[in-house]
Amino acid sequence: MTLPLLLLIQEAEHAVEAGGLPAPFQPTLGLVIWTWVVFIALLIVLAKFVYPGLVKMTADREATINQQLAEAKRLQAEAEAGLEEQRALLAAARGEAQAIVGEARDAAERERASAVARTRTEQEEILARAKQEIAAEGERAKAEMRREAVDLAIAAAGKVIGRQLDADADRTLVEDYLSEIGSQA
Amino acid sequence: MRSEDGGPFNISEMIFHHTGDAHELDFQPLFTIPLPHWEPVHIGSLVVDLSPTKHVVFLILAAVLTFLLLKLASIGVARARREGRAPRGFAGFMEMFVLWVRQDMAIANIGHESGARYAPLVMTFFFFILICNILGLMPWGASPTGNLAVTGALAILAFLVIEIGGMLKLGFKGYMGTIFPKIPGMDGAMGLVMSVALAPIEILSKFVKPIALAIRLFGNMLAGHFVILSLFGIVFMFGSIEYFRWGIGTVTAAVVLGVMALELFVAFLQAYVFALLSAVFIGLMQHEH
Repeated sequence: MTLPLLLLIQEAEHAVEAGGLPAPFQPTLGLVIWTWVVFIALLIVLAKFVYPGLVKMTADREATINQQLAEAKRLQAEAEAGLEEQRALLAAARGEAQAIVGEARDAAERERASAVARTRTEQEEILARAKQEIAAEGERAKAEMRREAVDLAIAAAGKVIGRQLDADADRTLVEDYLSEIGSQA
Repeated sequence: MRSEDGGPFNISEMIFHHTGDAHELDFQPLFTIPLPHWEPVHIGSLVVDLSPTKHVVFLILAAVLTFLLLKLASIGVARARREGRAPRGFAGFMEMFVLWVRQDMAIANIGHESGARYAPLVMTFFFFILICNILGLMPWGASPTGNLAVTGALAILAFLVIEIGGMLKLGFKGYMGTIFPKIPGMDGAMGLVMSVALAPIEILSKFVKPIALAIRLFGNMLAGHFVILSLFGIVFMFGSIEYFRWGIGTVTAAVVLGVMALELFVAFLQAYVFALLSAVFIGLMQHEH
């Protein structure tokens, strides 16, 4: 490994001694200066005439993309805000609807309750009146019956004893008697 | 095959001939193009030979190719943009590539605020080094990145950007904090002693980073070429043997094909590593507290 390398270096030295150019290991100042000149010239030309074109395209495209991204972000934020607003509105509407329904239900309930109460009082009134009427009718019927019975009794008794009883005095008698019976019965 | 001085075939000479720099462009066996020799320039006591060599030519070629590749991509992207559609095909692929380097390598490692400023450097590092690496795999091509002078020069640039970028970002006091680190939980004299004691290590680490960048790229590219050329050398070394040479040649060609595929991957990987580590080092410096 080392021997070929030594041979190479020896050859290089021979070449220099023979008036040739040095091997690649030995830098010459001339080539250094040439490299600087060529490289710096290339750098200046490229930086002035080529890179701005290539990079400007990219910069422009980047700017466009960034702008579009910002626009998209803004639109998204807007959409989100709109959605939020819609949601809030919907919630408010729902609450309102529920309130309305609840109110209606309450009103209906109240209405029903009051109707029932009214009906009940009416029924009770009718019932009471009917009872009253029945009672009055009963009383009247009883009195009627009693009067009929007294008249019949007097007529019968008159026939039986063959004489005309004094209507008023006898009536009192019979009525006393009948009430006795009534109280016994 | 004979060596150039007419002697017997010499594998190390062949390898150095192909990986080393030269004053000519070699299109053997068709022709060679000689490159001009310029008078050395004197800068003070320094003598610099600025003659264009083979690697200089390939550096310029790589730069031109990088420019054309990216320019075509940007034209395609612009046209697609005008027509209001996403770029397709080559332009779409290159755009994805460029953006990957910019976003995932530069900005992801350096940070959002200063990443965009350093991104062109990282992108240029990546594409330029990638093209340089791939040029070496082309017929008659050469990899400038297989030369320590080139990778060293690029690493020095990365070093300067890392350190100067750090100074600009952190200010003088903050930058000195990267040399004299403040040890958490150590105050007063002891903390000061530890800071000063750690300073050599911190300074060393500043220099080790670019040196590692240079050596890694250079070593990987050169070693790949050495392996390929050595395997090819087997063909010429055993070319004189009767009967067996066909088998040896076939096996060697198959192995070289595999190594070439590997080298193609290494070309991408090393460009990626150099650019990524530069971005990481710049980012580390920017976020030092």
